[in-house]
This record gives sequence, C-alpha cells and structure tokens, in this order.
Amino acid sequence: MHDVIEAAKYEKKVMVLDFVTPTPQGSSWGLGGTCVNVGCIPKKLMHQAALLGQALQDSRKFGWQFTEEVKHNWMTMTESVQNYIGSLNWGYRVALRDKKVTYENAYGEFVGPHTIKATNKKGIEKLYTAERFIIATGERPRYLGIPGDKEYCVSSDDLFSLPYCPGKTLVVGASYVALECAGFLAGLGLDVTVMVRSILLRGFDQDMANRIGEYMKEHGVNFIREFVPIKVEQVEEGTPGILKVTAKSTAGDQMIEGEYNTVLLAIGRDPCTRKIGLDKVKVNINEKTGKIPVNDEEQTNVPYIYAIGDILQDKLELTPVAIQAGRLLVQRLYAGATTKCDYVNVPTTVFTPLEYGACGYSEETAVEKFGEENIEVYHSHFWPLEWTVPSRDNNKCYAKIICNIQDNERVIGFHVLGPNAGEVTQGFATAIKCGLTKEQLDSTVGIHPVCAEVCIQNHLKAHGILG
Amino acid sequence: MAQRLALCRLLSRPARGSLVSHGRAFSTSAGRRNTFNVQDGSDFQDRVVNSPKPVVVDFHAQWCGPCKILGPRLEKLVSKLEGKVLMAKVDIDDHTDLAIEYEVSAVPTVLAMKNGDVVDKFVGIKDEDQLEAFLKKLIGA
Repeated sequence: MHDVIEAAKYEKKVMVLDFVTPTPQGSSWGLGGTCVNVGCIPKKLMHQAALLGQALQDSRKFGWQFTEEVKHNWMTMTESVQNYIGSLNWGYRVALRDKKVTYENAYGEFVGPHTIKATNKKGIEKLYTAERFIIATGERPRYLGIPGDKEYCVSSDDLFSLPYCPGKTLVVGASYVALECAGFLAGLGLDVTVMVRSILLRGFDQDMANRIGEYMKEHGVNFIREFVPIKVEQVEEGTPGILKVTAKSTAGDQMIEGEYNTVLLAIGRDPCTRKIGLDKVKVNINEKTGKIPVNDEEQTNVPYIYAIGDILQDKLELTPVAIQAGRLLVQRLYAGATTKCDYVNVPTTVFTPLEYGACGYSEETAVEKFGEENIEVYHSHFWPLEWTVPSRDNNKCYAKIICNIQDNERVIGFHVLGPNAGEVTQGFATAIKCGLTKEQLDSTVGIHPVCAEVCIQNHLKAHGILG
Repeated sequence: MAQRLALCRLLSRPARGSLVSHGRAFSTSAGRRNTFNVQDGSDFQDRVVNSPKPVVVDFHAQWCGPCKILGPRLEKLVSKLEGKVLMAKVDIDDHTDLAIEYEVSAVPTVLAMKNGDVVDKFVGIKDEDQLEAFLKKLIGA
C-alpha cells in the first residue's frame, strides 16, 4: 500500500492488484493486507479487550464498586473490531483513489516478461504490462497436513472475524501468533490449552520466551509440551461444535486425546509465492521455504522485479519493516534517493498477556556472536506501581540490557517484559540506533514512577552470562 | 427509575429501516416508498439521476456508527415530506464504484441531487433542524 502511494507521488502510473483467497473456512477480507485485517490491528484490539478485563478486576482495589458479574461478549467485541477494520479498508480505497492509483481486486500472476494476468472474483481475466513490478504478496497460515485440519480447524485468518465465541480452545503452535491468541482468549475468560511441539517463540531470546510461558501458565493457560496433533475429528456440529484432537508425543509413543470447541492452528506462515507465475519470469525462490532472496535494494534476480515484506528471505516479518522497505525502494527508484532499508536493530513487541518488547540481540545470539567473556548483561525484576495496590505479581516483570564490553559497553540487546512493553521499547530503539552505551544509559535521569525507568536504574546488576 | 430509563432508551434509539412505534404515528408505507436501497449502477441511473423528483443520496457503511444514527433520522424527515423528495441509500462497500464516482471519502456523506446534478452535500452527522433546512432548500430551490 505505502509503496504504491509513494510511487504515485512521483507521477508514475501505478496499479495495485490485491486479492484474498478465502480460507478453508470461507473467511475473507478487504484492502490492506494481513496487518490491518487479520494481524496486528485486530490482535492488539482483542489483547486490549483482555487487558480491560484484568483492569476491571484490579479496579475494585482502587475503589470501584460493582456488584454485577462481569462477563465478556465475543460478538460485541468482534463487531467493534470489524467495524474499525472496515473503516481502514475504506480509508485505503480513498487513499489510492486520491493518489490516482489504479486498484483491481484481482489475483495477479506473471504470464511472461513484464506481463501480468489479473483474475477477479468472477473469473474475468485481464492482462497488464508494466515497466517494474513489486511483489508483496505476504503469507498465509500453514496447516498441519493431518486429517481434519482444513475441515475443522481455524487459523488467525478466521479468528478475528469468527461469528461465534470460540469456547474451549486448543491452540496448536508456539509462535507469537499462537501465544498472543492463546493469551487474549484466556484473558476473555475462555478455557485455553496450548500444544507445543518443542520450544516457545523460536528465534526470540529463550529466557524471555520461557518467562512469558511461565506467566501464562500461572494465569490459567494450560500447556501440553512435546506433543503434535495427528488427527482432528468432529464429535458434534455447531458454532462452535465439539472437536476431538488426537496427539502424539514427540519424545516417545504416548498418545493423548482431548475435546475442544475450537482448534486454532498457529504453527507458522507460508509465503504466497508458489502460484504467481514466478517461474514464467524466472524469479528465483527458495524452493523449500517459498521465500524470495533479494539484494539489499529489495531487487530479485530479475532486475525489473522487486519484492518486499514477509516473503523476503532472511528478513524480518514485520509490518513497519515492509512499509519502510517499500517507501525507500520507491524513493530510490524515482526520487534519486540512495537510502537503503536498515534491517538492523529493528524493535518489536510480542503482545502476550505479559508483553515483551525487544530490540537487538537475544542473549544467546550475543554470546554466539561476541563471545561470553565480551558481553555484560544487566538485569532486574520490577513491580509496576499500578500492580501494587491490586496485589499483582511482584516478581514477573523483568528487564535485561546486553552490552558489548569491547565496544564501549555499547547496548546491543534490549529486552523488557511488562505492561506497555511496546511503548517502553520504542524510544530505546532510537537510542540504540544512535549507538547507546551503558554509560549514557546510566547518566539518563529516570522518569518516576514508570516501568521504563527500570531500564536505566543503577541497581541493574551485572551477572554472569546466561545465569 | 428503571421504567423511565427504558422509555428514554426507546425514544432515543432510532429504528433501522422500519419505524418502531413510540407513540407518534408515522405513515409507514409512505416512508417505504420514498426510501430505497440502490441495487446497482443502472438502478442509480434510473431512480436517482433520471428521477423527476429531487433525491437525497445517503452514502453509508456497515462499519460506520454515525451512519446508523443519521440514516433513520433522515428517513423520518424525508417521509414527512410525503413524496416531494426521495431518498436513495448506497452502501459504499457494496457499491464502491458509485461511491468513488461521487468522490465519497468519509461516511456518512449525503448528496442532494436534482435533475442528475449534485446541488448540495454534507459529510458527517447532522441534527434534525439542520436536516430539515437541508431538505427544505432542496425542494424550494
């Protein structure tokens, strides 16, 4: 979206082909991509719904009195969320029209050099040619490939517009999608179980990942570790119905069964690059993963074809990264700019019940890259002031700074587990981009009383490595 | 106390489409004839552009809160005029081409059309007095 709007600024004739192939359950959505429709936006809103539930509980200790039992209505929440998304979809239509970008709700695929075939919902095909192309087709949730998966299971593509409360839910997976969804579903009062094949949040700092898991476990989310589903059967039809899941241990021959109203698959996402005719124009893709390798200017092996976003190999799957890459690409192509997208020190946040903000290296990656003896880790637990009165956990929130001793104790890793982690992390990400050192951190005066001040407080004590 | 609250709620919640009885008699059937949902581009051409009577066009969306208030409010006032003005409702997600053609950015957007031309327009919610003035101007002018 943002790259086309940028290109139109430079008076280039631009067209956008956007098409959503419905999910096995029939879900579909409007203009805007994953983030707006079935990702960040609805996720954060539902996470907020769950946080508000917790806030209601806390509020009693602050003097709020209410005698009614507080319940959650899934339909009310979903309707509100979908209404907001509808306004965003329309906003994008208007933005494209204002910038005179041609928009087609059609499935695009290459049929030859510089030529694309666009097929709309009714099956009508049109051909278009262009000087340059940007592929930003994103990804879709992966299915397990077991009996009953497509017929009975849902994915994040379905969850945010589910026209009925999911009820007792089994979440399969340990990705941030799995944990965030499990987190807010449990926060809304549902019985939630997470089935994990091996580790939590692969690719993230594992100490932080385990703390997130522990917190969720202590707050009512069930975990089944080292099992994978092998079969999903329908016991009873309905909205929701009852599904029976059979799972096998990854560590032996043990089999277990369980019944749930909803099974949510969140085991990963696959790029939409297999059926867009890339072979016709000889664009290389990684056959195994489907990802597209590009150079540091987002150019594929075919000079007039570029790619951005989640489909890129070895790049971060984050909305702001895709937006930034797209904008800079267009500026380089048409405005004579030379700035390339900086994929280093990109901050991110996982919106699990206990939020996790991070920027830079995980502890284990820092050790691997710089050597144990060359890094110093400062850490501390903290108790948010807002949690004191309602007697919430005093030893769960946690912050960790990783410094490179050989480079002036440069801050190379920032990790915080606590409320508003995203808000806390954003500013520190800029500081890290500017080359933040431990000394500069120490010399910053804290704001009191806020959670973020723990990141600069002197009582962050150095500890041995991975202790 | 509880009863009074219930009554207030009944009065202030406007009905979508059909009129709810709350003590004042409105001619339901006349209301129905004067207001219609646009079916497609050619329906718009026939019943709005080529309409011998002036038409207010209400561009709205399912996801728009203020639209749900403005729609019934406008409908009620249009039906009071007993056929001097017609009202066409266009859902911008169902008829995006039409909405784009008439440069609708935000909703609700209401156009006043006479002899196929847009003679007046407003965006956002308006109260009954403002709507009455808007309609009066359309029939009068």
